[in-house]
Amino acid sequence: MPRPLINRSPMPGLGLSMGITLTMLSLVVLGPIGALLAQGASYGLDGLWATVNRERVWAALELSFRLSFFAALFNLVFGVVLAWVLVRYDFPGRRLVDAAVDLPFALPTAVAGIALTTLYAPNGVFGALAKDFGLKIAYTQGGIFLALIFVGLPFVTRTVQPVIEEIDREVEEASATLGATRFTTLRRIIAPMLLPAALTGFALSLARAVGEYGSVIFIAGNIPLKTEIAPLLIVIQLEEFNYDGAAAIGIAMLAISFAMLLAINLIQIWSRRRIGDV
Amino acid sequence: MSDAAERNWRSATDETPLVRGLLILAAVAGMALLVAAPLLTVFVEALAKGWFAALKSLGNPDALSAIRLTLMIAALSVPLNAVFGIAAAWFITRFEFRGKAFLITLIDLPFSVSPVVAGLCIVLMFGANSAIGGWLVAQGYPIVFALPGIVLATMFVTFPFVARELIPVMIEQGCQEEEAALTLGASGWRVFTTVTLPKIRWALLYGVLLCNARAMGEFGAVAVVSGKIRGQTATMPITIEMLYNEYLSVAAFSLAGLLTALALVTLLLKTVLELRHADEIAATHRH
Repeated sequence: MPRPLINRSPMPGLGLSMGITLTMLSLVVLGPIGALLAQGASYGLDGLWATVNRERVWAALELSFRLSFFAALFNLVFGVVLAWVLVRYDFPGRRLVDAAVDLPFALPTAVAGIALTTLYAPNGVFGALAKDFGLKIAYTQGGIFLALIFVGLPFVTRTVQPVIEEIDREVEEASATLGATRFTTLRRIIAPMLLPAALTGFALSLARAVGEYGSVIFIAGNIPLKTEIAPLLIVIQLEEFNYDGAAAIGIAMLAISFAMLLAINLIQIWSRRRIGDV
Repeated sequence: MSDAAERNWRSATDETPLVRGLLILAAVAGMALLVAAPLLTVFVEALAKGWFAALKSLGNPDALSAIRLTLMIAALSVPLNAVFGIAAAWFITRFEFRGKAFLITLIDLPFSVSPVVAGLCIVLMFGANSAIGGWLVAQGYPIVFALPGIVLATMFVTFPFVARELIPVMIEQGCQEEEAALTLGASGWRVFTTVTLPKIRWALLYGVLLCNARAMGEFGAVAVVSGKIRGQTATMPITIEMLYNEYLSVAAFSLAGLLTALALVTLLLKTVLELRHADEIAATHRH
């Protein structure tokens, strides 16, 4: 006998909770995404490809993806160090730093954007300092990189922190008793335990950075082919009422997002199989 | 945490003091440069010409209308998403059905969609060029470039917040208590309000808090659907952008300071919840 669609349950509220869930999901998320795909379908594959396959669009997609990847990589390393420091060491202000990790989630992106731009612009506090060394940060790809680091900062720390808390100190002691140096223990024992969570955080940070708009546009300078990110290109198309063009780039970005969502799920399945549920 | 005070030897499971110091320095310096400095900048720039100038710029009619609009959007979208979150968590954790994992993936979907793409989706579904949008405009109810569109876009980007907080908590708590109440003859609604709701209230508050912070600060999705009409559809973040681009630094940063204060209150409440009600919120937030 095939498994029933919904098992019988004594719990009340099946119709109500299912109704609200599916109605709102359809109205707010699935319908609008469907509208985007439908617009793309009516435009036709050739039209979609012709829109995406232009130098300016490729440059924007490549820029968004490349800088997001390196920002997520930075966050991977910095996030693991930060998580380790916050769990294992005690120092004055630890609680404050711990609370501040979530600030990039709580701070509106437009606010982060104008604050970072003011700081790192050539006439800003850090920007002037960089200028003395002959560096320009704001209005270059370096500025975009910085903003993308900011928005993705909390992900790795917050996924890795609980894993470090769970590590049994006896494992490290056993490793030390068997003659391993501290570095060997960290590399061979600790690192493999943190890897799945760190990769999940990396993927989340990457996904967030690729789609980021608010914190980037102020600091980017927005010069076509040089510092123009993919989401901005969509906004430009919309301002010209070119819905087909906007939809084509939107679908390309959606495809990238789905690929990353799939990667996150695969990492989680792989890590569960490897070290059990965490 | 280490109990360093009681010993003067170094445990084999500690890093050398030098490594330890360097790691702490890297972490604190990174956070100072990337997080603390921008935070400070907001207030420094807002008060660059004194308190009076900052407060005066907030009293500007456009600023006031932006504040009113942002509060209204949060007041509409957050409760709606809370209702959705509760319903979805109840449906997912209290019933067994096929495709549950897929449904959870769909609910999480907005987290991996760019806010700008989210806005674009709303425009394509409800814009004046679409079938639904065109009909609604003809009836005198425009969605895009008006309040309903901004609310929909805000709901899209904050969609998973409440459900994500509630689902793990409700799985962990199980439903024995609800079953007992049902056996004793309580109605479904009574079971929910007297048994379930008290158990999930802190997790619900946690989710609502995050949802609200994001709803008030959303920029990308709102920038696309709002049309940025000054005094009508310009929310606080949109107004900040306009003022900043007009080189009205004090006005832009004063409004930004208001949103930043809200973010700080959110962080404070969140930390309090994590410390005081650790056993009633999702395990990943416990300290």
